[in-house]
Amino acid sequence: MINVCHLYPDLLNLYGDRGNIIAVKRRCQWRGIPVSVLEVSLNDDVDFMEQDFVFIGGGSDREQNLIAADLLKRKKELIKAIENGLVILAICGGYQLLGKYYLAGDGEKIPGLGIMDFYTRSGDKRLVGNVAVEIDIEGFKLKAAGFENHSGQTYLGNCKPLGKVLAGNGNNGKDGLEGARYKNVFCSYLHGPLLPKNARLTDYLINLAIKRRCMNIALDPLEADIEDQACLAMLGRLGFGKITN
Amino acid sequence: MKLKLFAAILAGKTVFWLSRLRGNKGTSLPGLVARKFYGDSLRVLAAQVRKEIIVVSGTNGKTTTCNMIVGMLMDAGYDTIANREGANMITGVTTSFILSADMGGNIDCDYAVLEVDEASMPKVLAEVTPSVVVLTNFFRDQLDRYWELDKIIRVIRDALSTLKRATLVLNADDPLVSQFSDNKLLPSVFYGLGKHQRCIKTNSQTREAKFCPYCGEQLIYDYFHYGQLGKYRCPNCYFERPDPFVEVLETVTTKKGMECRLIYDNKDVLLNIRARGLYNVYNAMAALSVGLRLGVDVDIVLESLGKYRTVTGRMESYVYHDKPAFLILVKNPTGFNEAIATLAAAEGAKDVFIAINDNEADGLDISWLWDVDFELLGEESSSYLCFICSGQRGEEIALRLKYAGIPPGKITIDRNIKTAIGNALSGRAGSTYLFTTYTALWPVHKIIKRLATEEIADDQCLSSVSGLAESVRRPR
Ligand SMILES: [Zn+2]
Repeated sequence: MINVCHLYPDLLNLYGDRGNIIAVKRRCQWRGIPVSVLEVSLNDDVDFMEQDFVFIGGGSDREQNLIAADLLKRKKELIKAIENGLVILAICGGYQLLGKYYLAGDGEKIPGLGIMDFYTRSGDKRLVGNVAVEIDIEGFKLKAAGFENHSGQTYLGNCKPLGKVLAGNGNNGKDGLEGARYKNVFCSYLHGPLLPKNARLTDYLINLAIKRRCMNIALDPLEADIEDQACLAMLGRLGFGKITN
Repeated sequence: MKLKLFAAILAGKTVFWLSRLRGNKGTSLPGLVARKFYGDSLRVLAAQVRKEIIVVSGTNGKTTTCNMIVGMLMDAGYDTIANREGANMITGVTTSFILSADMGGNIDCDYAVLEVDEASMPKVLAEVTPSVVVLTNFFRDQLDRYWELDKIIRVIRDALSTLKRATLVLNADDPLVSQFSDNKLLPSVFYGLGKHQRCIKTNSQTREAKFCPYCGEQLIYDYFHYGQLGKYRCPNCYFERPDPFVEVLETVTTKKGMECRLIYDNKDVLLNIRARGLYNVYNAMAALSVGLRLGVDVDIVLESLGKYRTVTGRMESYVYHDKPAFLILVKNPTGFNEAIATLAAAEGAKDVFIAINDNEADGLDISWLWDVDFELLGEESSSYLCFICSGQRGEEIALRLKYAGIPPGKITIDRNIKTAIGNALSGRAGSTYLFTTYTALWPVHKIIKRLATEEIADDQCLSSVSGLAESVRRPR
């Protein structure tokens, strides 16, 4: 049984973010692994240690601030679970929340959870468009495709990126980096949504979740024909013809 | 000035006929060209409207509401100008006047009914002075085209503040719309849907307007209709759903559409509409409110609404070798969900064609496909024989269908729109449904018209499908 936890789906659901939940759910179910999905909103009870995969998406400023306040109350518990290897996927606004702070256009510094070493400043130009990224998965280079739409520009401190930008902007449009990673926490600006057409990444996350539960089962391979076609269609348009090197 | 206007009209009309010859609809280019020749074209022509100008804006239902208003004004015997579907920016509005003008620069009409894109309100209101402004609702639309809702609302507020005299016709059920009644200068008339059989108590789909526009407190709802539409109040200040002047209390779905019990001004009447979906009840109420405000005889209004038919591109019926085929334009999750509900409700086996493009006019970002409830099709996948996926993002919609639970064996990707449509039409099922996004509609249209015969169907009304929008808000 895989416990999937969707944080604040009622407040943060932009750009088909729920597709990420659907992807994890389906790829487990197709392998005969049962999945339960828990939707958590403000003030709801949740025990992060019990969860296997946590997803948090993005929202506009008003929701972000409410959520930051709610998450702050859960910070200790969340850190404990992260150190324990909890798999988290945080997209866009959810990504920003895990960092140190968000510097708004008017100079206001909105604190984040400070779980990871990066900060975000509001940019004057929105970074919008299709993106190709190269992600390193344990030495294995994987090309992923998605769509970004953010005005926040994120700068990493002592923190690994999720991948290198091949086309598009990524974290800030300047340093060629996309997303962030710490332990099993994966952060990215890529909507699309990210997981469905990047099936190898999805399977990697599922694998990590299973390993944390000490379940020594190898994932059955699944055909990923349509997934690969969807990813390749975008990679090809951006000038990259292969998913793996 | 006369000469410049003459040049503008001549150029605009010429461009229109040229683009018509090439098979384009030519809806905004004539206006654009005319404005290059004479920047005041619209201002000068619009000033000649004899009675009044009505502007309709908001996210969903603009086109249908405008068409309903035009229908009732024509039925009441008035000459009326209106802009074409989708041509709702300042160039499109200009086009409608250029095409209606004679070569002497004269406009001969009683009313003008203008559909205006939310973001174009400032520009249009700077040149056109309406006496009635209808605001339908505010939902998130693709944000690479639109801005944040808060920003849109601010822009419309500023645009309205330039008007000296006008009546606002507002949807009472949408807190994002009803807040406009705080405009001290402009009187407001509300329309709304009362508590009916199918109201829902909670609504997880509500993404906007959870908060009071005045004090920021979370709004409390007695019930919802859909989205953020419903009966709301702020626990902290005086803000609440205003009492509507026009209110529908009961709705019954009939074979041809809906029958509604409608109260206005303490009178109880029966409103029939030949379309389904609550969206259309709202559109009809908005149109009726405008009719009453303009003093059109209420019997004419009700009769006109009762015979209102859907317009091209909404849901067109065709026949291919005795097999019915339906073409539906989809642009956002709400509209696509409506269309899927129609598809799921239709009897017998079905073949399905979906073309998704990601050009500017479709929205560059197609993530919204993941917000559409294709799972409804996946649960009943035995009713569907094939899904043929086409368009620039055919692979992505194929992927979406796979993850909605449709067996991959039933999904085909064919980038060639011609063979894709041919195969969908000649599939083994009893009927074919074709869905396309905006820029794929016209190529699909051309191909299907060549292959199949168009039918003017009687009770296939789905005017809401393309007019609806609920998708994304801007993340930071
Ligand atoms: Zn309030």
